[in-house]
Amino acid sequence: MSRLELDGLTRRYGPVTALDHLSFSVSSGQVTGFLGPNGAGKTTAMRAVFGLTALDSGTVRWNGRPVTLAERRRFGYLPEDRGLYPGMLVGEQLEYLGRLHGLSPAAAAAAAAGWLDRLGVAGRAGDKVESLSLGNQQRVQLASALVHNPDLLILDEPLSGLDPAGIDTVGETLAAHAHAGKCVLFSSHQLDLVEDLCESVVIIDQGQVVTSGTVDDLTTRGRPRLVVRVAGDRDGAWARSLAGVTVSENDGGALRLVLDPPADPQSVLRAAFTAGPVEEFAVRRRRLSEVFREAVAHGGSGRRQATRSETGAAR
Amino acid sequence: MSSIIPIVVAIAALAFIALRKTGRLGPPGYRRERDAALMISPAAAPTLRLLPLPGDVGLVAARELRVRVRGRAFRVGTLLVLLIVSGAIVIPALIGSKATAARVGVAGPLSAPVRAAVVADGHAFGGTVDLVAEPGEQAAAADLRAGRIDLAVIDGRRIVTNKPVSASDTSATAQLTRAVASTVGTGEALQAAGLTPAQAAVIAGARALPVSSLQPGRPGTTQRNTSYVGLLVLFFMLTQYNAWTLTGVIEEKSSRIVEVLLAAIPPARLLAGKVLGIGLAAFLQAGLAVAVAVTEARAVHSDALNGLTPLTVAATLTWLVLGYAFYAWVYAAAGSTVDRQEQAQSLLIPLGLPVILGYFVASTAALSGNPSVLVQVLAYLPPTAPFAMPVLVSLGAASWWQFALSAAISVAGTVAVARAAGAVYRASILRTGPRVPFRELLTR
Repeated sequence: MSRLELDGLTRRYGPVTALDHLSFSVSSGQVTGFLGPNGAGKTTAMRAVFGLTALDSGTVRWNGRPVTLAERRRFGYLPEDRGLYPGMLVGEQLEYLGRLHGLSPAAAAAAAAGWLDRLGVAGRAGDKVESLSLGNQQRVQLASALVHNPDLLILDEPLSGLDPAGIDTVGETLAAHAHAGKCVLFSSHQLDLVEDLCESVVIIDQGQVVTSGTVDDLTTRGRPRLVVRVAGDRDGAWARSLAGVTVSENDGGALRLVLDPPADPQSVLRAAFTAGPVEEFAVRRRRLSEVFREAVAHGGSGRRQATRSETGAAR
Repeated sequence: MSSIIPIVVAIAALAFIALRKTGRLGPPGYRRERDAALMISPAAAPTLRLLPLPGDVGLVAARELRVRVRGRAFRVGTLLVLLIVSGAIVIPALIGSKATAARVGVAGPLSAPVRAAVVADGHAFGGTVDLVAEPGEQAAAADLRAGRIDLAVIDGRRIVTNKPVSASDTSATAQLTRAVASTVGTGEALQAAGLTPAQAAVIAGARALPVSSLQPGRPGTTQRNTSYVGLLVLFFMLTQYNAWTLTGVIEEKSSRIVEVLLAAIPPARLLAGKVLGIGLAAFLQAGLAVAVAVTEARAVHSDALNGLTPLTVAATLTWLVLGYAFYAWVYAAAGSTVDRQEQAQSLLIPLGLPVILGYFVASTAALSGNPSVLVQVLAYLPPTAPFAMPVLVSLGAASWWQFALSAAISVAGTVAVARAAGAVYRASILRTGPRVPFRELLTR
């Protein structure tokens, strides 16, 4: 059981604070999603784990101790910009990265071949990276982060630009890696995919954690949510008059309701019966996207604007 | 004529590099490796193991060496270096080849010792003399007019040439004619004096004693040409390797692979491995050039390398190493401040100025054989010493302690530059966007 801890990471770019005492941890054995609006500090935080961000204060710990170079070599990183040598042969490139991360020549060659095979690009080992299609380049990039079987895998937007088949491949690969006892953290803006792929999430905004926990907890926590459909009723006027009931959505008569005291599911059901024949009645979880919007909405929007433009310039 | 050669060469080299940078000579050829299995097999691993270098620096250097040597830039560059070297050796040899084999017609009797002495005259002038038997004076005259022989000895009493030979004529034929005239006259006189053939042979073989001086003399053309060829190769190679370092650093930054690399290896070690790897590729090329030069010079009996003492070769190679070591850091640091290959253009020209200055000043000295005060000063400044000092050595104008002093200054300068370059590299390699301002790099 290993564990990555970010403890009080702070990074300022001039007047702008990209990371503001950011603290959270990632446990092995599960896939953790790293969420936040643009400019929230996700990339800066991930780079800090690899020593690529000069921190003003704070510590990155691995199993309770500050990360050493030897331990960092056992980490894998897929940056947002996906670095590979465009003119280098695919197989050689993976071997080289494997060796830089401490593998023996034979182990690096075997791992490179194994990953290319597993990701369905085995036939391209002797091709230059720049000659591959975009989808195959992304597969090779994923392989480059995994070639040394890292204890901690951090991926910055690994799903962006992938087709559905590619998303499935990445998702399965990350899940398999996590379930083999490794730490996996990845950032994404595709919240529905994150909800499917991740066991837990960390949501940050303005360089601070605003919410974190398992997906199960976050989506069931909080006020009860119902979906109710009453035959012949398109507007849901019956629900709008109930105390403590908010209609958050009306999808052609299927009302999505958020309950506050004194309302509870039983009283809403009774009210629905009196309004007409009930065709649908369900207690629903929150979607992760709702959790995200709620968590991020509390921050001041003016400050976020500044953070966004500044981190863009300072990167 | 000789003074425009350095200018033409410099322009050609810069144009070549500029064209490569703008891609007008085409992108590196894409070659598909048919046998993917071959690639994946550990066949590639021996290259990595060959270098007994410590850990990650060795890995980075080995990759760099392998990619460079396989790349098109290396092949084209090597070809150009070999062309320059071959041209410098073969062309003068072809132009000067007339003097090397003279034909002397002999009509009437000529004693064996005198014949041997005439042949020996040819060797004294750095060529060969073939004796051609002529049936008579008429036949000899006909051969002279037709150019089949250069001069004729008639009955051991007269020398006949096609065109008049004046005392001030310094052509090879004229010099040989005067020598043969003197040899034959002396030889015949000795025989007339009644000496035995053996005594006559000893006296006929007599040659003026070699003369040496306490003060070093002005070097001859041969030595000048040799030091210029060395300079040319130095200039071309340094310009080329500097460009490799610059574009190599930009490649890593622009493709962002540097983020992946720096997650596993500290910046100073990545930079050191890169400089080392490109350096090894460079010296592989330089070694090839020297080997080809020596082989060719032997094959065509060129005198271009006669003045090439082991000392000159050692000085040139030493300064190739020192020059590369000094400039590699500068170019690597400069490369880390820009994002895209296109921006390399704006760096190549200002960074190349000291190289061009050193080359011009040194080549002027090499071609004139006269080490000016400027060259003697530039020989102690690390940016220009790689050009100025080897020229001083080949002109015999530097003693060992001056050489050592200049090398020591250069090494110290390299250490200082490497430190500054490391700081600039660390500060700017991970930053993208607009070019990093120099002032900001120093204040970080």
